[in-house]
Amino acid sequence: MADFSTSTHCHHWILQRSTLVDKLFTTNQRAQEALIKYGATRVDVQPDGSLAYPENLEVEAANGKRGPTPEHLTVEDELMIRKFYEQKIQQVCQAFSFPNKIQATAILYFKRFYLNWSVMEHDPKHIMLTCIYLSCKVEEFHVSAEELGKGIQQDPQVVLKNEMTVLQCLNFELIVYAPYRSLDGYIFDLENSVQMMGAVAVKNVQELRESAIFEIDAMMLTDAPLLFPPGQLAMAALRRANRDDKKVDLERYMKGIVDRLATKHTLSELDTAMDAIDVAVGESIHVVEADVRRIDRKLKICRNPGLQDETKKRERKGKQKQKRPLQEGAPPMDPNPMDTTNHGVKRRHSEPEGIF
Amino acid sequence: MVDPGNPRQRARPAWLQQYELVGKIGEGTYGLVYLARRQQPLHRGVRIAIKKFKQSKEGDGVSPTAIREIMLLRECIHDNIVKLVNVHINYVDMSLYLAFDYAEHDLYEIIRHHREKLSSPINQYTVKSLLWQILNGLNYLHSNWIIHRDLKPSNILVMGDGEEQGVVKIGDFGLARVHQAPLKPLCDNGVVVTIWYRAPELLLGAKHYTSAVDMWAVGCIFAELLTLKPLFQGIEDKNGQNPFQLDQLDKIFKTLGHPTADRWPTLLNLPFWQANRNLIQGRKYENPGLYSIVQQPAKSPAFDLLSKMLEYDPAKRISAAQALDHQYFRTEPLPGRNALVPGSPGEKVVHYPARPVDYSTDFDGSTAPPQSNTNLAPQQQQRGEHMMQVPAMHQPLHLPAIQRMPQNNMNNFSSVNQQGRRKEPDSGNQNYNNYQPLNKSRRM
Repeated sequence: MADFSTSTHCHHWILQRSTLVDKLFTTNQRAQEALIKYGATRVDVQPDGSLAYPENLEVEAANGKRGPTPEHLTVEDELMIRKFYEQKIQQVCQAFSFPNKIQATAILYFKRFYLNWSVMEHDPKHIMLTCIYLSCKVEEFHVSAEELGKGIQQDPQVVLKNEMTVLQCLNFELIVYAPYRSLDGYIFDLENSVQMMGAVAVKNVQELRESAIFEIDAMMLTDAPLLFPPGQLAMAALRRANRDDKKVDLERYMKGIVDRLATKHTLSELDTAMDAIDVAVGESIHVVEADVRRIDRKLKICRNPGLQDETKKRERKGKQKQKRPLQEGAPPMDPNPMDTTNHGVKRRHSEPEGIF
Repeated sequence: MVDPGNPRQRARPAWLQQYELVGKIGEGTYGLVYLARRQQPLHRGVRIAIKKFKQSKEGDGVSPTAIREIMLLRECIHDNIVKLVNVHINYVDMSLYLAFDYAEHDLYEIIRHHREKLSSPINQYTVKSLLWQILNGLNYLHSNWIIHRDLKPSNILVMGDGEEQGVVKIGDFGLARVHQAPLKPLCDNGVVVTIWYRAPELLLGAKHYTSAVDMWAVGCIFAELLTLKPLFQGIEDKNGQNPFQLDQLDKIFKTLGHPTADRWPTLLNLPFWQANRNLIQGRKYENPGLYSIVQQPAKSPAFDLLSKMLEYDPAKRISAAQALDHQYFRTEPLPGRNALVPGSPGEKVVHYPARPVDYSTDFDGSTAPPQSNTNLAPQQQQRGEHMMQVPAMHQPLHLPAIQRMPQNNMNNFSSVNQQGRRKEPDSGNQNYNNYQPLNKSRRM
């Protein structure tokens, strides 16, 4: 589709900041309430399309009573976990050498999905994979669930399981406009405009493109793609890339665009948007590994309170045997028993356990 | 956006209750198409076509056909493009239900009615209005970088009685795709376009192609509207993946003459042209006779437009935008919005038959057993049988009163399926998951 202005992306998925904040608060709140009410946050889709918290029933049936209510994730915790998995999307896409477009589409699906769900309700690790899989399908870059699963050592069923849930949450609005293509448009323009100025100028533009792509990669991990249209994101990326060594007279180019399009928007309005994007990028939370690990533990227990008991049992066992104290940084609990993948100790030290 | 709401309050699939099933109106490898009536207060009784996509082949989730149709139609809003009203998920069998505005007619049925029942051509106003609206919809698609890739008479819908009477709707986007900055070559999608409407560059194995393939198909449809017969009725070779379709090319060459490198410079680069030179060039056709087939004077605007659509070189073939601007549409009778009812009084209005409906099929695709040995009144009988067919999950569905059309309509339907429908071949297999080529071409 060529016309962004009539797209569902433009009409339904570019939000006001206050709307975004509200939505994230609401989903977090709902998961918290579920935790108090049912003792777990995990949501499953039943065959009749309804939603259920199966843990609740299992836990109560097994114990006759409910254990202590697990600690919930805060809005900030959720932000950190989401950003962690957005980085993972980029890493997986890179490992598969997927084009930028696939990565951008997958990240936007992921962001849109968690506008309406808390990570406590739907496991972000699984949703992330489904988003990548769906993005490949939509971009006609078909990769089978089996191939994808094999490449990242995951059960293909995990990839497929949530496909309908994600499709529904995206309201079946699947065409996404990525800033990478807008960037290519600007670069094409800029190259044409410096053609007369010789090889160095052309090379400068190409270098600018490379660094702007890195800027967009970073921007994709922030709230900005939910708040601004792709053309503005790409322009802001160019501006950020050009800020230090000023390889290109970007201000003149921006003025040219505003004049040429003769839109109602002024250059200062464009500048304001660029500044706002800079702020969004600057404010974006920094992923700290130790924090992710801590939050991930909380998340697992929220979703699966049975783990809490198992942790205690294990701790008791450990004390009885007293072979050696727990290693520093080792996970305090068994990996999720539902999780069939276990990639050895080496990996677990560098990444939160059970994430891959 | 979807609001998950209170999970406890969503025990029943409410969407199923929005529709009252009337019957089955079509099927293909993707699944079935049903006719239903809406139940919501604001739209009560409004007819809707519901396309059910079966769960895809083993292990690859929602079929690419369904994804394409949904993602493109979610974005497309145009008078001449079929309107996707809603998408529903049936979690029982992981199938998708797409709800479209219902169109009573399609060009396949309209042409057949003239050929088999009336034995008279479609009037000029109707032909011109239909063509103009097809081009108008196509121009919208092409300017949004969408190629339809499966235009044929049965995919060109025409609205029945109501506010939009006689308005054309291009339907079935199961093969359509965006071709702006493709990540992989288009030929990766495998064979596209039903063979009779397939452009020569595709038949000659082009690896890359453009929206011009749709214009070739429109040319074929235009000729069919004029003559009531498919223009190039080749016999499809169904061996292997994308085999060389000699018979189809031969039918085209017989009518249009052989293409030459002079008229079509990139012809020499096409794989099948090189590989099958002897076969192709073996028979020489000296007297191309398109105008005699379509019985139009060689100098008429209609013939001029048709021959520009059937231009061999896709780069020179007329575009949808150019075609809309053609002299043909500026000469009397001028095209109109209601293609079925001419603006000028005194013209005879043809009443086309309603779409045949199979009343014995349930929403899950099962067919009710034959109703012979009970004493129930027909209506009760039908209901009873349906209830037996409906699994527990489906119970919220209120079954419709089914006695709207006489029984012999059913017989019509099955004979149509067995005879009429077979005549129009299907779009090729889609290369994904080794889909079988479709056996039944009835879509929407």
